Amino acid sequence: MERAMEQLNVQLNRLTRSLRRARTVELPDDNETAVYTLMPMVMADQHRSVSELLLNSKFDVNYAFGRVKRSLLHIAANCGSVECLVLLLKRGANPNYQDISGCTPLHLAARNGQKKCMGRLLEYNADVNICNNEGLTAIHWLAVNGRTELLHDLLQHVSNVDVEDAMGQTALHVACQNGHKTTVLCLLDSGADINRPNVSGATPLYFACSHGQRDTAQILLLRGAKYLPDKNGITPLDLCVQGGYGETCEILIQHHGRLFQTLIQMTQNDDIKENMLRQVLEHVSQQSDSSYQRILTSLAEVATTNGHKLLSLSSNFEAQMKSLLRIVRIFCHVFRLGPSSPNNGNDMGYNGNKTPRSQVFKVSVWCIVIFTTVGATLYDCTSSPLELLWHSLDEWLVLISTELDRKCGDAASSSPGSEIASLLLKQREADPSVSTETPALLPPSLDPEVVMKTPEAYVDGQDVISMTANRLSAVIQAFYMCCSCQMPQGMTSPRFIEFVCKHDEVLKCFVTRNPKIIFNHFHFLLECPELMSRFMHIIKGQPFKDRCEWFYEHLLAGQPDSDMVHRPVNENDILLIHRDSIFRSSCEVVSKSANEKLKQGIAVRFHGEEGMGQGVVREWFDILSNEIINPDYALFTQSADGTTFQPNSNSSVNPDHLNYFRFAGQILGLALYHRQLVNIYFTRSFYKHILGIPVNYQDVSSIDPEYAKNLQWILDNDISDLGLELTFSVETDVFGAMEEVPLKPGGTSIQVTQENKAEYVQLVTELRMTRAIQPQINAFLQGFHTFIPPSLIQLFDEYELELLLSGMPEIDVMDWKRNTEYTSGYDTEEPVIQWFWEVVESLTQEERVLLLQFVTGSSRVPHGGFAFLMGGSGLQKFTIAAVPYTSNLLPTSSTCINMLKLPEYPSKDVLRDRLLVALHCGSYGYTMA
Amino acid sequence: MSETYDFLFKFLVIGSAGTGKSCLLHQFIENKFKQDSNHTIGVEFGSRVVNVGGKTVKLQIWDTAGQERFRSVTRSYYRGAAGALLVYDITSRETYNALTNWLTDARTLASPNIVIILCGNKKDLDADREVTFLEASRFAQENELMFLETSALTGENVEEAFLKCARTILNKIESGELDPERMGSGIQYGDASLRQLRQPRGSAAQTKQQCNC
Repeated sequence: MERAMEQLNVQLNRLTRSLRRARTVELPDDNETAVYTLMPMVMADQHRSVSELLLNSKFDVNYAFGRVKRSLLHIAANCGSVECLVLLLKRGANPNYQDISGCTPLHLAARNGQKKCMGRLLEYNADVNICNNEGLTAIHWLAVNGRTELLHDLLQHVSNVDVEDAMGQTALHVACQNGHKTTVLCLLDSGADINRPNVSGATPLYFACSHGQRDTAQILLLRGAKYLPDKNGITPLDLCVQGGYGETCEILIQHHGRLFQTLIQMTQNDDIKENMLRQVLEHVSQQSDSSYQRILTSLAEVATTNGHKLLSLSSNFEAQMKSLLRIVRIFCHVFRLGPSSPNNGNDMGYNGNKTPRSQVFKVSVWCIVIFTTVGATLYDCTSSPLELLWHSLDEWLVLISTELDRKCGDAASSSPGSEIASLLLKQREADPSVSTETPALLPPSLDPEVVMKTPEAYVDGQDVISMTANRLSAVIQAFYMCCSCQMPQGMTSPRFIEFVCKHDEVLKCFVTRNPKIIFNHFHFLLECPELMSRFMHIIKGQPFKDRCEWFYEHLLAGQPDSDMVHRPVNENDILLIHRDSIFRSSCEVVSKSANEKLKQGIAVRFHGEEGMGQGVVREWFDILSNEIINPDYALFTQSADGTTFQPNSNSSVNPDHLNYFRFAGQILGLALYHRQLVNIYFTRSFYKHILGIPVNYQDVSSIDPEYAKNLQWILDNDISDLGLELTFSVETDVFGAMEEVPLKPGGTSIQVTQENKAEYVQLVTELRMTRAIQPQINAFLQGFHTFIPPSLIQLFDEYELELLLSGMPEIDVMDWKRNTEYTSGYDTEEPVIQWFWEVVESLTQEERVLLLQFVTGSSRVPHGGFAFLMGGSGLQKFTIAAVPYTSNLLPTSSTCINMLKLPEYPSKDVLRDRLLVALHCGSYGYTMA
Repeated sequence: MSETYDFLFKFLVIGSAGTGKSCLLHQFIENKFKQDSNHTIGVEFGSRVVNVGGKTVKLQIWDTAGQERFRSVTRSYYRGAAGALLVYDITSRETYNALTNWLTDARTLASPNIVIILCGNKKDLDADREVTFLEASRFAQENELMFLETSALTGENVEEAFLKCARTILNKIESGELDPERMGSGIQYGDASLRQLRQPRGSAAQTKQQCNC
């Protein structure tokens, strides 16, 4: 009874204590349960509690638990619970106990920088040299995290400071990799091997360079680290360049001057990322005036060698061309940076935020004067080694040209040594613009084997021009780049213009023979209208597709890559449009937006609607283009054929008309820029106005077909004896009064005769077509040219321009079907799909347009057909997705991905019925369905 | 990884058409005789890394067209050459007589320090010889040229011609007569000296452990 009472008391006592402390006061008997009771206390370093619980218990302090099989000593070391740690050690915990990964408590203390724990563990004879399963020791852990002070203490106990992990890495390697300067110094002072290679041959310097640890590399080099490549021959410099670490490169070069040339030579290596190498060279060039000069000279030397190699016919054209252009690009980039020295009066110093030279030039022409007069500190281009290359280029072109001339003066004979000339001559015959003085037996094909009749006419069995034209053209491209980088943006160097003029004949010969040269190398044409005009007839002869590619390639040059489409849209950049006043509100927001922003991308949201994305943008262009030709604004008038439009000569009834014309031009330019089609077709003559092509009398037929016929009649018939009594003037109705307007000065008294009737027709055409709407045209073009440079649009004729702006007018169902994809269970065999296409075929052209608009947001098929349908992130085919059918469910669409969500209708009739309902009700307006 | 060398020398091969310049280059680079050699168009290019006096030297060789019509193009390659092979054909007095012109070109257009070796090629066609060894070696002496008779067909003296020229340049660099750092010297430093051979892995650790014993 008493015993029972006593037991009860003990229990009661225990209960009270337990309740007071809010925990158990006695350890369970089994280790597994006990250890989880103790673990939280150890983690919180509640050593009294732990001590109390351990007292009288049979708990095994070395009991390993959990997934990684750690002891409580590990836990204490890891958490820095120093009191518990000591307690456990006193109770016999093994300081060298290794967990499942081979880590001892000392490893964990080192990893977490638990200084006191480390000290106590060492007192209890913890072994610092134990490796974990990856071969890491405590000093590796300290080195990784740069715990220099702890490392210093620990190193006294370490037998081998160069102890290697499984990868052969020492503490010094990991410290270098992580750039812990003091740790590196500490390890070096303790005798760590500064040139130690790991298993792949990487040294501490190699690691420092691979991570761009500038200061660490500096320390290593000052302490005499050798410059060693790894086992694959990768050098520290290679690594610095790969990572774009300019500062580290600079340090390597400071210690090993020879590496400067190696760095320059790397510009020839296709495997190295150009932007990284450029970044490095940029940094090195900004160290001092002399490094700037030296880099440019060396780059020019490498470029010259590569250019000469390119001109060697046995070299690999593609590789050499790429190499030359890459080096020249880098050269131009560095050149534009200007020297770093601030004493040249320009603010072109490198501060991470470069001022491109071109911008500096933009300020004023005065800067050009600075550039030429302060030339002492700037790079002197006239003594650049590149001059050698330009000289060779010039000599090559002269060589071809003189042989050409000699042969022309001596066309009949085919003397030895004039093979080039005969080839050139043949070329001229192929060019209809040049006289054809030789027999017509030459086939139109350009096969030289067929043309050549005598063995002398072979140039070593091959054709010199086809061998050299590409190579010389690529060097010309490089020459243009170098000339341009010395000029303010948008200006063509007079030297280059002079060069093209000098070699006009040979260059034309090149491009006539191989027009691809224009697109591949003669980009200068697009930047210089004067030169462009010389080659225009050849360019116009090239396929529309090639010109399109060239057009967009150049138009979008400098814009972010197309894979940036998904970059987040800044809320401020969204064009917020009121649907009910779309024309006015669009005009307002577009005029407020920066042109550069609009070029980067357009995001449209209609007021009160959630929808955004490419579908909405397309709808906006579509509706807006309809509004532009809305007769209420009186901006455009319908032409005689009823489908095309041109500016209204009386548009001034709308007082703001010129502003609106500028806006209309902007919208069309913007649409073209972003490859969006608009819903307007203009008259031929208006397309000509956009292109800057003079109109002719036939264009009059679009506004006044009867009158055009009359003009035609005058031209076709002899008017000498008709007694027309025409003068160079017309009678015009000006505010109700007839007035005689002269076509040219004094025109009222100049008779129209058989001799001058062509001039009369041209002048009268210009009056009707151009002069009457000149202000409107000018305003429109002003807007259009903000997005589309005149020199670029020139690549097309008026028919092509219509195609570019408005797409294909007809919808080809076969093409549509061919370029449709199916998803969510549909395929071509599915009855619903077969019904769908049968229904589409039965639709009217207008309904097909509605369907297209319903799914894609645009009523137009892009140029090239359905295969070129665009979605939010590039090409996106028309897609039909299956949706489970419920009664009365209508088809829906996701315009961003051109997807029609078509319910699995039970019959063709239901499908047709539901589809038409959807088309007629739902092709406008967006909600997040 | 880029090629490793101590120096890069820019070489020229000049001389009249048909003397075998391209064949000499081909023999030097490929160790073969070029059977169906055509007239060179403009300037061709080849390179080979050789060992001269313990240094690795990359020879960047520009093989020029001999035909007169290419003369102005080839002349534009002369500047910045460190060495040149001036080639004539021992079976053609005409090509020998033209040497003065070629030499004048080289002396006026190339660097004044250019090292030139005169090569009497087609040594294998001794039966058709029009230019004696003695005559040519006197010419070489008068004009301070080195001289060898070579055969691109058999390969005789081809390697020697290039190496002799390279060795002379190297000597001039070592004696300080030539400064590779000077613009247009036709000489560049490589980084071979930096890429030293490493010790076999682990040997350092072993020695250290032995010390501890």
